[in-house]
Amino acid sequence: MNVEEYISSGILEAYVLGDLSLEEMRDVEAKLKVYPELKEELAKIEAASEQLLLKASIAPRVSVKTALFEKIESEKEIRVIPLRQESMIWRYAAAASIVFGLFSSFLAYTYWSRWQESQSNLTQLLAQNQRIAQDYSTVQNRLEEIETEVRITTNPDFERVVMKGTPNAPQSIASVYWNAHTKEVYLRIQNMKALSKENQYQLWAIIDGKPVDCGVFDSSVAGLLKMKAAIQFPTTFAVTIEPRGGKSSPSLETMQVAGNVAKV
Amino acid sequence: MEYLYDHYSGAIYGAVLRILRTEEIAEEVLQDIFLKVWDKIEQYDASKGKLFTWMIQIARNLAIDKSRSKENSKAKKTDDIDYLVGTVDRQENTEMEVDAIGLKEVLQKLPVEQQFIVNQLYLKGYTQSEVAEEFNIPLGTVKTRLRLAMSELRSLLSIE
Repeated sequence: MNVEEYISSGILEAYVLGDLSLEEMRDVEAKLKVYPELKEELAKIEAASEQLLLKASIAPRVSVKTALFEKIESEKEIRVIPLRQESMIWRYAAAASIVFGLFSSFLAYTYWSRWQESQSNLTQLLAQNQRIAQDYSTVQNRLEEIETEVRITTNPDFERVVMKGTPNAPQSIASVYWNAHTKEVYLRIQNMKALSKENQYQLWAIIDGKPVDCGVFDSSVAGLLKMKAAIQFPTTFAVTIEPRGGKSSPSLETMQVAGNVAKV
Repeated sequence: MEYLYDHYSGAIYGAVLRILRTEEIAEEVLQDIFLKVWDKIEQYDASKGKLFTWMIQIARNLAIDKSRSKENSKAKKTDDIDYLVGTVDRQENTEMEVDAIGLKEVLQKLPVEQQFIVNQLYLKGYTQSEVAEEFNIPLGTVKTRLRLAMSELRSLLSIE
């Protein structure tokens, strides 16, 4: 482009006056950015034009200025509204935080009490568990007893000696299981009267006419009770009432039950 | 903004009033101009010229739009002869001439045909194409005459 020619066309003067169409203006603006000479020329025309227009000034009435700046103030307020909206957002955020906080506290309390509840439930369950374990071991023991009982009562090596009631206690009855090989002695009460706390029953094996102590027992004993082993072949088993702990020789007058061992 | 107003409102109001010829409308447009300047100030680009040039471009655009939109345009056309013959009749005109005394002195040093163009464009508020149309001068001639006048004024106003 020939800058001189462009300048002399007078287009910059028209530009300064705002006398160009929008397209022409855009074109001039684009060229101003490319050619520094154009910008330089423009500055001079602007200066002259500005002086002309300033000299041709007509002062507007003061009321125009007042009205204008009132309007600008009110528009400023309108522009401020987004800021207010922002502060509203903070308000909402604060409200949301409070609600969230309350909700959290509520949850915390709820879960705390549930935790407490669970804790006490757990304690109960542990206790229950212990009880069940105890019960189980009781049952287990009882089962073992019964198994032993079954094993003994069904074992042909054990001889059952039924001891019947003496005139002292005609209703009483008890049995002894005696193993001739192992010398083991077991006792089972079928029916014996209850004794005072000071007294106990004592089992005797009569060997060669002499009573040998086979141990003491209480009337409340259930199941098969292992007694002291009888070393030699007894002829008779008998039970007397003795002071608690038993005696070395029986008080024969208190004999409750007695039974003879069958000859092998 | 207030600085801009105090500094340039006279020059802009003068230009607007010469286009619109009615104080009430010119005042209204002046307000619109400054509101627009205030609103779009971030769009001003120094590479496109001085701030005042930008303001004048906005001012002339708004004023010319206004003069075309209102019945003014009709009045203007029918009154063309009146303006040519007897601009002195108009009240504003006396004001303008009073304000523009210093200007007249400078302008008188220009050749008559240049004086006429500057007068029409700067003091009567015509556009270049209006001048060309109404006075049967080719648009190119209007432009070159303005160019010559402005060059002359630059040396008269000692701008270099």
